[in-house]
Amino acid sequence: MFSTKKTFVAAAIATLFTGSAFAMSGSSDGAATGGDKIDGKYAANFEQIIKDADGKYLDRAVIEAILGADAAHGRDGLMGKLDPANPYSFEVEDSIDGGNHGNAQCKIPLAFTEVHDNVKANYTHDSDFVARGFGTPISEASLEIWDIVVDGDGKGLPDPSVGMTVEEGGKVYVQFCGMCHGDFGEGAKGYLPLAVEEDLVTSDFSAPAPMKAVGNYWPYAVTLFDYIRRTMPFWTPNAPYIGDAGYMGMTGYILQSNYIPMDDEGTELEDETFFNAEVLMKMNKYMKNQGNFFCDHRPVIHNARCMTNCDDSLVGDGKGDINNFKQARLLPDGTPQYNVPQRMHEDKPGVGHSGM
Amino acid sequence: MTDQNVEKVALQTEESRNQSRRTFLKGSAAVAGGVLFTKAASADAQMGFDPKKAVAPYAGKAEITDVLQDQAARKSLGFGVRKYPYGMPSPFEKEVQRRTLEWLTPDSMASITMTPIQSLHGIITPNGLHFERFHGGVPTINPDDHRLVIHGLVERPLIFTMDDLKRFPSVSKIVTVECPANGALEWKGVQLNSVQWTHGMMSCVEYTGVRLSDLLKEAGIKPEGKWLIPEGADASGMARSLPLEIAMDDCFIAYAQNGEALRREQGYPIRLVVPGCEANMWVKYLRRIMVHDVPMQHREETSKYTELMPDGTAQRFSWYMEANSVITYPSPDFKMQGPGKYYVRGLAWSGRGKVAHVDVTFDGGKNWKEAHFTSAVLDKAWTRFEVEWDWDGSETFLMSRTTDETGYVQPPMPQMRSLEGTNNVYHRTAMVTWRVHAWEDGKNGGMIENVQY
Repeated sequence: MFSTKKTFVAAAIATLFTGSAFAMSGSSDGAATGGDKIDGKYAANFEQIIKDADGKYLDRAVIEAILGADAAHGRDGLMGKLDPANPYSFEVEDSIDGGNHGNAQCKIPLAFTEVHDNVKANYTHDSDFVARGFGTPISEASLEIWDIVVDGDGKGLPDPSVGMTVEEGGKVYVQFCGMCHGDFGEGAKGYLPLAVEEDLVTSDFSAPAPMKAVGNYWPYAVTLFDYIRRTMPFWTPNAPYIGDAGYMGMTGYILQSNYIPMDDEGTELEDETFFNAEVLMKMNKYMKNQGNFFCDHRPVIHNARCMTNCDDSLVGDGKGDINNFKQARLLPDGTPQYNVPQRMHEDKPGVGHSGM
Repeated sequence: MTDQNVEKVALQTEESRNQSRRTFLKGSAAVAGGVLFTKAASADAQMGFDPKKAVAPYAGKAEITDVLQDQAARKSLGFGVRKYPYGMPSPFEKEVQRRTLEWLTPDSMASITMTPIQSLHGIITPNGLHFERFHGGVPTINPDDHRLVIHGLVERPLIFTMDDLKRFPSVSKIVTVECPANGALEWKGVQLNSVQWTHGMMSCVEYTGVRLSDLLKEAGIKPEGKWLIPEGADASGMARSLPLEIAMDDCFIAYAQNGEALRREQGYPIRLVVPGCEANMWVKYLRRIMVHDVPMQHREETSKYTELMPDGTAQRFSWYMEANSVITYPSPDFKMQGPGKYYVRGLAWSGRGKVAHVDVTFDGGKNWKEAHFTSAVLDKAWTRFEVEWDWDGSETFLMSRTTDETGYVQPPMPQMRSLEGTNNVYHRTAMVTWRVHAWEDGKNGGMIENVQY
């Protein structure tokens, strides 16, 4: 299940060796009221526990009663949510390896009981519904003109006969994309770069945020084809004069610029490779960062509501010092002046990253 | 007014205060429970009266009499009806605007403006001040030419005109719409001194529309249909993947906002409303909903709107907006008026339901005082809180903390940073801190500064 989540697995092993228990694997669940356990870990009567607590499914005591004593604590709680059987997990069984790097799914955690109750009332248990008959039936065939969705499995891609060589794709790219994204995907005029090799782990919290581009971040290659056909070129999106073949060629050129392999041997695209949906689907399985995504794990912090004399960890800088704060950058005379790095062109423009 | 007059006013003020205190002291002997007040008053007398520290903002300044003269408003007629068939705010409110930062994005068609939250009251955002976020500019769509299609894994693919939609039973709901990048500027520290910049990527309006569950049931979802892919009719063709559970929970398709048609900036003629979830999912200019078996993995749910963690992993499908709060008064747009009593007020909200409590600290988080609500407390909507505060004029660190009805307690920033790092971009929902400078602090006295722990 977690085999593609390399970082987590490594972290979990490290945690085990240092002696502290991996999230919910311990048996320290004395707080659980019910006898039955899901997978021997989680209280099977979690719905009742939540109901008894007035629906407070994110209350720290409720979470601990359901998951065990360690569950409400930071990193351990996050790791525990990678298990789809955890009532607080957004993960879906087999979502990651359904096919090599298949279309990952996520769900609403079972412990979010209010959502599921509403779904029952509005849908699954709504036996009284009578169609009103407003609106007009339409055939799928007549909607083909709108059908531009390509999903993570590649459904919706054009026929393999549609495409062009990577070299031809590069020419289309330079004509329509290079002026904003750089001829080699390096970015231009403040627009997003498409091919940069930046490490996604920064040295410390104050270091500039890494640039996220196709090769080092994007989990799916098919997303690129869907997105550029849907929205690009920015000024005239979904352009008929580029067409599916042109969009396919540009996709190939961008993937080549990001050195995406297409097999276990690391074979990369040649200039003369005819790039089509089949080649794209091969590369969809070899996106470098794909194994590093996980479903929502929030909330990861479960504080009690403290009113007086709160613990130092919750006060000021997290060590109890309320005078240890950061200010915005000041000019030499002490005047607060904001956004100095961007204005001085020291930092790239953007909300803590490069562009929105 | 001359300096002499200023002095005179100050002396008068002092005199009148002393006078009233004497009167009060004289009378207090006869008042049951007056002892407490007498004690307070005599403590004051020992300290001596300093006009510069007077509570009333005009004390020690020139007496203001010019404004008492009748002005044009009183002595001539105002304008008549229908001068403005669509009314606009007073020209004196012209600074209350949506604003953007030109360095955020390379062009204005894929950019954002922030709502001036520091200037708003209550819980409703006026339509003209609703924040904007575009990915391909704002289209001007003729509703007669616009259609909504529901198709894919359904029994009966259907196409709706705007009139068809309005024929369905309607629902009106006040809900917060918040961009998950709200607060993104503050991940690595403070950058800007205004609630508009720290929290302005959100608004709260009353939407009216038709329940999404009604429309989906009308089309009949096939058992294998688990995801919806809503798509817009704008240049960005915005699309996301929405799990069926969220769609059937409380989503609706809105055609109205605060009693009138949606504004173009907010998706005219129709938009998806996904209460409690990140605003990127609230697809504007909605033209079709494709029912599908798997998520789409659109660029806006893979490359963007995913949160990079310190270890290099990333969180995806982070739909819900966590509970959050901010003090809007006093906040960095204001300056303190001197020591004395203040009513600290602000906004709290949660994507998971109603706000249960808001607490305010004046000492950086050591001790907290519960605020009361001055607005209706609604599901997934702004809630206005207020708490009384006696400011003694010393340096103060103000923060607010909300607890929602699920029992979730808003965390402080150092805690969120230690777990989630600073490269997430989205969902920075920890507390912010307003540093109130001491009243006796030179030119910065009474200044309110955005700082971060």
